[in-house]
Amino acid sequence: MKRPVIETLLSRLDNTLRWTGIPARVADEMSDAPSVDRKHRPLRWIPIWPIAFSCVLFILTLSWPSAMNNLIALVPSLGGVIVAMVPVIHMNGPLGKPSLEDDEREAALRKDSFLFCLGLLACLNCLGQPFLMILSHWQNWQTARGVSVAISALMLNASLLGCLPTLYASWTLGQLPKE
Amino acid sequence: MSLYNRISIFRAEQGISRRQLADAVGVNNQTIGYLERGDYKPSLELALKIARHFGVAVEMLFSFDRFEPIAMTLKRAGEDE
Repeated sequence: MKRPVIETLLSRLDNTLRWTGIPARVADEMSDAPSVDRKHRPLRWIPIWPIAFSCVLFILTLSWPSAMNNLIALVPSLGGVIVAMVPVIHMNGPLGKPSLEDDEREAALRKDSFLFCLGLLACLNCLGQPFLMILSHWQNWQTARGVSVAISALMLNASLLGCLPTLYASWTLGQLPKE
Repeated sequence: MSLYNRISIFRAEQGISRRQLADAVGVNNQTIGYLERGDYKPSLELALKIARHFGVAVEMLFSFDRFEPIAMTLKRAGEDE
């Protein structure tokens, strides 16, 4: 019997990611009886990567538009890396399930982390938007340049929103000695 | 203001693990670790739950002042006898 095309395609997509161990971990975490105890693992360095990629992309788009025209292939690559990494790193975890099982300390830490992140994002955007408007007027940007800067700013915002809470929480908590 | 506690002493005395205490009071076992280390100040509800689990008053477990070392307490108790 011939399999439907869509199932084969989805199975293939699953198989391409299975080697990372992430699908198995997500399935286990989402089950009613996870095999391992729930434990928040500090991620102190990994969240820096998507933020760094987004910053590089934003600075390149803003400062060297001619270079970006030549390195246009870089944009989807960096964007792909960021889009792939952020959901894995994000503090709410896959589908937000860990946040439903928080105890009081974890809930307080989650709240502090998001408050820090949203406060920082609000400041950056309040300062950045008028700066970009003045710069675009001063340098007489064309539409294409404006769009590329806006897209890179969006990616920077998304990666900060996705990774900064995890980074904050990971650096706030010290490592516990084993019992 | 610092909040000191003697959870680890009571836990060691009763021979229970962090996990067992965490399950008894309904928190993650990492939370018990951070509590013992003084990195987290518990809510009144959690403090009362822990005290009830050990069967002592909450003041026996938590204090704004440093607890006296056990050696000093034992020495004083020996002198009193």
